[in-house]
Amino acid sequence: MNVMGEQNQERGSSGMGGPPLTDEERTRYQRQLGPGVLTEEGQARLKRSTVFISRVGGMGGPAALALAMAGVGRIIFAHGGRLELADLNRQVLGSEQGLGKPRAAEFAACLRQKNRLVTVEAIDREPDDAEAVALAGRADLVISAAPTFAERLRLNRAAVACGVPLIDAAQWGMTGTLIAVKPRVTACLRCVYPQDPPFEEMFPVIGAISGAVGSLAALEAIKILSGVGQSTFGSLLLIDGYRGHESRMQLQRNPTCPCCSSLQRFSPMSREASRD
Amino acid sequence: MQIRLFISGRNYNLAEGVPDRLTLPDGATLDDALEALADVLPEGTRLPASCLVAVSGRHCGTVGSHEAERLRDGDDLVVLAPVAGG
Ligand SMILES: [Zn+2]
Repeated sequence: MNVMGEQNQERGSSGMGGPPLTDEERTRYQRQLGPGVLTEEGQARLKRSTVFISRVGGMGGPAALALAMAGVGRIIFAHGGRLELADLNRQVLGSEQGLGKPRAAEFAACLRQKNRLVTVEAIDREPDDAEAVALAGRADLVISAAPTFAERLRLNRAAVACGVPLIDAAQWGMTGTLIAVKPRVTACLRCVYPQDPPFEEMFPVIGAISGAVGSLAALEAIKILSGVGQSTFGSLLLIDGYRGHESRMQLQRNPTCPCCSSLQRFSPMSREASRD
Repeated sequence: MQIRLFISGRNYNLAEGVPDRLTLPDGATLDDALEALADVLPEGTRLPASCLVAVSGRHCGTVGSHEAERLRDGDDLVVLAPVAGG
């Protein structure tokens, strides 16, 4: 089902109500308030929103940065391991001073330095099925920027189970893809990828495409959360930077999808879960 | 008839020498196009079954499992090998 271009509606905890913007916030965000960008109510909805992002490396890092700077109220992210030299071609939340240190603490500190008004929660591991559901349940929107399909599909299941929009950002070399999922309305990741693609541990990547795709993921999130602009739910954007080609495809739901069809009831221990 | 062809996603570099157009008999289907495409891929390469296929912006499924689709002159065929990097 294609609902690309639909006007955004309020949703979740980012709906009406809650504190208005302070004078400081009005000043801080003045360049993004006005015609063609956010309304004051849209900015207030961002402030009341929570986004869960797993991981905040090449794409999730720029996405988290853009969300923090835009004034999303709470960013919960998951990212394990320690910062390595080879991360620094794309992981914008890292720095040379942070080499060898746990990424979660480093990346959280970077985000907090950008905007002290944003609450940042850092989780220093890849969430398992149950934790992914718990985190998606606390969020108004999930961004999947994970390096494996197994984790992407786990986040997809969690978002579908909780009825929370999912934005999936992925990359290889100089290409990237972006999919926005409205659970049980538009195609989920399992509808789109019925077979697991082959696993690849060390994929090539240039930071410029990571930043581009991550920023576009953040823009989709900002539109959905603020209720401003037109979302791209139900479509896949392909950016092939190598050959300078972009295209968009309208995705179809799979009526027998093991994740999101009306016949399925989510369980972290279901066959669909264990297959990943 | 002719269709435009675009192969991208993971390992897009392997498709660099593949022509950007395919000539097919009138009435050709998506299956016919994928067969013709297999013939022009570099030796030793093949399209994984998990690749997405879209005709003129409409997602039709994957190389391994897709709807029957009759093609028209000037259609765009996109074949996308899924990418997962983060
Ligand atoms: Zn589905």
